[in-house]
Amino acid sequence: MSEIEKALAELKALMQYRADQLGQVEDFRGLGLTSRKNLCLHPSVKREKSGAVVDARCRSLTAGFVKEKKERGEDVDLCIYHDNLDLLEPHNLVPPGVFTLDGLLKYGEQHKQCPYFSARRMMPFCNVIIYSYHYLLDPKIAERVSKELSKDCIVVFDEAHNIDNVCIESLSIDLNDDILRKATRGADNLERKINEMRESDADKLQSEYAKLVEGLRDAEEARDENAFMANPALPDDLLQEAVPGNIRRAEHFIAFLKRFVEYVKMKIHVLVVSSQTPLRFLQECKESTFIEKKPLRFCAERLTSLVRTLELTNIEDYQSLQEVATFATLAATYDKGFLLILEPYESDTATVPNPILHFACLDAAIAIKPVFDRFSSVIITSGTISPLEMYPKMLGFNTVVQESYSMTLARRSFLPMIVTRGGDQSAISSGFKIRNEPGVVRNYGALLMEFSKITPDGIVVFFPSYLYMESIISMWQGMGILDEIWKFKLILVETPDSQETSLALETYRTACCNGRGAILLCVARGKVSEGIDFDHHYGRTVLCIGVPFQYTESRILKARLEFLRENYRIRENDFLSFDAMRHAAQCLGRVLRGKDDYGIMVLGDRRFLKKRNQLPKWINQAMTVAEENMSTDMAVTNAKKFLRAMAQPFGQKEQDGISTWSIQDLEKHVEKSQTDKIRELQNVQVNGNGDHAMGDGDGLTNGKGTEDNYDDDDDVDAIMRDMEA
Amino acid sequence: MSRVPGKKGPVPGRAGEDDDICPVCKSSRYLNQNMKFLINPECYHKMCESCVDRIFSSGPAPCPVAGCGRTLRKQRFRKQILQDIRIEREVDIRRRVNAVFNRRQEEFETLRDYNNYLEEVEILIFNLINKTDVEETEKKIAAYAADHRSTISRNKALAHEESINITAEAEAQREQARIRRAEDLQEEEDERREREEGKRALVERLANSKGNADAIVQEIERAQVKRSSAKGEKANLERRKENAMATQDPFGVTNGSAGAGFKIAGLKKVVEPEIEKDYDPYGGTALEHEYYVFQDQYEHSWLDKARTNPEITTGGYDVGEYCARAMFEAFAGLGCFIEDELGARNVAVDSGTATAAAAMAAGR
Ligand code: SF4
Ligand SMILES: [Zn+2]
Ligand SMILES: [Zn+2]
Repeated sequence: MSEIEKALAELKALMQYRADQLGQVEDFRGLGLTSRKNLCLHPSVKREKSGAVVDARCRSLTAGFVKEKKERGEDVDLCIYHDNLDLLEPHNLVPPGVFTLDGLLKYGEQHKQCPYFSARRMMPFCNVIIYSYHYLLDPKIAERVSKELSKDCIVVFDEAHNIDNVCIESLSIDLNDDILRKATRGADNLERKINEMRESDADKLQSEYAKLVEGLRDAEEARDENAFMANPALPDDLLQEAVPGNIRRAEHFIAFLKRFVEYVKMKIHVLVVSSQTPLRFLQECKESTFIEKKPLRFCAERLTSLVRTLELTNIEDYQSLQEVATFATLAATYDKGFLLILEPYESDTATVPNPILHFACLDAAIAIKPVFDRFSSVIITSGTISPLEMYPKMLGFNTVVQESYSMTLARRSFLPMIVTRGGDQSAISSGFKIRNEPGVVRNYGALLMEFSKITPDGIVVFFPSYLYMESIISMWQGMGILDEIWKFKLILVETPDSQETSLALETYRTACCNGRGAILLCVARGKVSEGIDFDHHYGRTVLCIGVPFQYTESRILKARLEFLRENYRIRENDFLSFDAMRHAAQCLGRVLRGKDDYGIMVLGDRRFLKKRNQLPKWINQAMTVAEENMSTDMAVTNAKKFLRAMAQPFGQKEQDGISTWSIQDLEKHVEKSQTDKIRELQNVQVNGNGDHAMGDGDGLTNGKGTEDNYDDDDDVDAIMRDMEA
Repeated sequence: MSRVPGKKGPVPGRAGEDDDICPVCKSSRYLNQNMKFLINPECYHKMCESCVDRIFSSGPAPCPVAGCGRTLRKQRFRKQILQDIRIEREVDIRRRVNAVFNRRQEEFETLRDYNNYLEEVEILIFNLINKTDVEETEKKIAAYAADHRSTISRNKALAHEESINITAEAEAQREQARIRRAEDLQEEEDERREREEGKRALVERLANSKGNADAIVQEIERAQVKRSSAKGEKANLERRKENAMATQDPFGVTNGSAGAGFKIAGLKKVVEPEIEKDYDPYGGTALEHEYYVFQDQYEHSWLDKARTNPEITTGGYDVGEYCARAMFEAFAGLGCFIEDELGARNVAVDSGTATAAAAMAAGR
């Protein structure tokens, strides 16, 4: 079940609860949006494997001009699910209420209407929409999907610990030989189409031309004037301008594209590693192929317009060309925050060239800026977003309220520990110098073995990289450690192949359920660490072997570090360590997925000791001083004690009033906070000034649902005052 | 937006087998690893280096590719830069045409005029590329080039300057970054040392004093925090200053002169800037004497004495000076007609006749 589905289900339950308590059903709509691939109902389209193909085929069945053709009596296919939508009231495609994705699919099947378009068209009428970041951050998608959201929408980025990477990826482009070849082919195709059209339907080309002469904006009436989202690929003011004269005519534009593609091809075949700023790239481009900056900037828009005019349906043929055009637009739009990196070989040892031109975005603030500009309330939240100060710096915004909450738990239901020494008291670390020393590897092995003996059911182990995982596993094999562990648990391994991994996961779950118990060895930046929950018996211990630093030899990472240092004054080491710790925290968080859950969290590396403060508050607070510097045997003793405590019966009763509240508790809290406030106000009057801020909401920490039941405006004020002071 | 899928296996640098075989001598790269291909912008037929040497060393010769036969010269052979030979040719054409048609956006009244101009030029280039109306187009280009020689050369110089500026700026920025980097490193180093010193100081104090250990620790830590934050602020301030300085526009905007000939619409009318005259302290009053010609020598016996008598000359008495003054005084006032001047003034101050009359009276 995806995160979106989970959140929707939760929302549904909440609304149900509200209806029960209030005695009336509120007028409320909540929908989720995902790709066509997940929401398509068309019998043949939905069977396509790749999302891009689904999109393209759907477009060819639903585009406006296809419909026109149909009306003119031509024999073209349409999607009936899409057509049926037009028969419904446009603001009431689905009844009020919360639909999970599954529910929407079912509803769509029953009423023979397309769930994807239902959701998209209903977006302006929804109270809550849940979708993936990309719909808001990726400029190409955001423009189409999110432009109708009103300005006072509250935007919440949940699980936002990785938001900077999402931003960067949404503006980065990689080009290689294959893409360029396809782009050339796409351009040739376009040329042919243009010639065909000139013979059959020259008026269309002429009218496009006329529109372009008048200015691009008019050509695109489809765009909404007032709430149009600033597109990072094409700034708003630029859109007002007309397309440059030398790419106005379709044939000129095609020649232009071809020339540009050829230039990039030439560029990519220089078999030397190099990095360039966009400015330099443009200058060279101008010198050698007479391509100016300005038409390049219009490339993407011009191509879109051309594709629309030519009424092309098989858009996937032009995807590569579109990519090149996007690259052109971005490179010509931004001087700062981007870098072109050419890597002719896949790895340092490779001898056969496989060049890739990375157009790397280095500044996460660029992609997210339109969001901040447009929406007045943006909330960034995650369970593992720490240290908080890093995010405003990287994303270029000022926080109004910035809070880090601890957890309220009825018992100590997780045990974080830092293991710095092995059983032989020598330090353990995945530091580059000692990571492959047999002593260290053996100590890690012993750590895993001891925990596999005492932990019930599932254990999850995270390594910093695949490479290291492979080498350590083979060494364990040689030392006979795996054979030993095998006696207690089944051993499963995550691989880069997602199918293999999901098979491993399935087996792992089965083994956890049937009592055999299992160990899952995975990688801190892999798929498992991000999206998969190990609640309850699926994960009782999580073991982090080594600090999950990024691979620092990557040229893109180096460039980004340099950029951060130059522009945001974030030091390399600070960023690397922050990045490693957020991933470590993410891994640790995998095992504790609820208030009745429990689990052990072990950080196995000497270096964690110094980085302890970079852990999220709720983990850091739960760690005693003794637990931050343990040896394997101490940790095992401690864990045994913890598990014994956890094994005691634990009912709902114990949690009442602490980690779950009844209505009475809530009323008590409201009363208490009110009397506090009154006392505070009296104090203020007595003292004559108000710079003594209120205790900032111990009661706010209780998570979902409870906050909006009492008026916390003043608390917020107090916090703000506190921050200003 | 897109990441290249982790694709294994080599991708050939150049597509196609026949790319690696010389169409003239049919030797292939397979046999000769460092075979190089050359082209001649006369016909763009590709052949290997050894063929070029063999055929064209002894002077111009016809192209050996079947059906071509154009006369080629060795010295014009060069390496192919772009993979697609057609585009290579296109770029050559553009190089030639763009060298002539190098108007800048600033020269046009409106953006639309500029865009129309761009399109016109593009059409010319397309004619050349597609070999339609070549002669006519060439004629147009030549005519334009002849008519606008000065504009063309000026814009060329401007473009050159611009590109140099860009390079220089990039260079300067890199240099600045390098300096900053060094500073940062130094700072980091300082900080580390300071921290260590602080630690040592702490240990010493703890060893030597009898006070509350916790209090001492706290005190020293506080001092350190203060120091480092103050430093951070200072650095920030400096950086901001630098940034403010760095944002200066390196380009100026220039006007071009308009001309007839090739039909470019919407060029800005260029107003020739007036040539600034030399500064005239007398405000236009002529120093020539209208009514007499000043002679170097005036015959007067009593003047001769003043010329020669040292008693007079030693004091600095200059006879020439005296004569000039005497002549000036004699003729001063001739040609000044007070009535006329007053009349002109009367017209200007039409309203107040009383004041005018008073002035007239005063003038007399
Ligand atoms: S309109 Fe909906 S159902 Fe039809 S092809 Fe597109 S996504 Fe599928
Ligand atoms: Zn040859
Ligand atoms: Zn030839």
